[in-house]
Amino acid sequence: MNDLALVMGVAAITFASRVVFLLKPRSAPGGRVGRFLEVFPLALFIAIATSGLVAPWGSPELKANLAGAVGGVVGGVVFRRSLWGVLGVGAACFYLARAIIG
Amino acid sequence: MFDNPSFRKGARDAVLILIAVGAFGLAYGVLAVDAGLSPGLTLFSSVIIVSGAAQFAMVGLLAAGPVPVLLAATGLGLRHLPMSARLADIIESQPLLTRLRLAFILVDETFGLTIRAFDAGVEDIVAYKTAADLMLYSGWIIGTAAGAWFGSSIDPEAAGIGVLFGLLFLGLAAPMVKIRRDWVVAGAAVVATLIATKTLPVAWQVSTAAVAASLVGMVIDE
Repeated sequence: MNDLALVMGVAAITFASRVVFLLKPRSAPGGRVGRFLEVFPLALFIAIATSGLVAPWGSPELKANLAGAVGGVVGGVVFRRSLWGVLGVGAACFYLARAIIG
Repeated sequence: MFDNPSFRKGARDAVLILIAVGAFGLAYGVLAVDAGLSPGLTLFSSVIIVSGAAQFAMVGLLAAGPVPVLLAATGLGLRHLPMSARLADIIESQPLLTRLRLAFILVDETFGLTIRAFDAGVEDIVAYKTAADLMLYSGWIIGTAAGAWFGSSIDPEAAGIGVLFGLLFLGLAAPMVKIRRDWVVAGAAVVATLIATKTLPVAWQVSTAAVAASLVGMVIDE
């Protein structure tokens, strides 16, 4: 699959998920399926973040990455789950750790 | 339309979103080109997808192949279902083209603004959301173009862009952690990802970990 086809595929999936209840109004799924749908984005975001920050075991910058991850969590707690709090404190911790560790 | 007070209010309320989304668009443009997409295709992706989460996931998983990218897009799209149902309740009967247009930019930021405006009694909610959507769309497109064409002077590794990418997803996840179940799901996702990176091919690591953690969340009552 080339890159253009992949972009078109992602666009089609995204639009389909957005339009489904607007084409013909109906109730959103409930019960366990509803709970799965509700938590999946959180699980996916955390999995991608973990994969990028913590999982590259052989990375020479693993310690700085870990400092960034811990800083991000602290920033999230201190700034009441703010995206900018996570990014700001996490990035500051990462760059500081990288400057100190080398 | 521009004389409509609800439209003008939507535009005013979305100014901060335009700036913030523009910054993310810039980061997306840099990362997408660094991942191997051409600047033109990078801009095209922002024009037709209009989903920061799906696009960042696509770029992050590009090296793993199309299956994880499409799985991630499907998984991320699932969260639109309840948003779509709620918006359908709010706008009631509208022409099909209007409903399609509103669905095209059904994103977390302007959806949140629209719900708040509806609760506050804004008269013309379609005009309000249209204005907010236009602001967000403008920021996303302009930011992406700037990052794709002028971001090549940035060395992603030296700048630590990869770490910022990880932190971005951590930041996107943060507002979703509201109740005990969410903490359990987040913890399960970390553990599952660490296990997956040791045991599974790259292509399946993130998707499998996300599904496993979601299944944990599915069986937990609030």
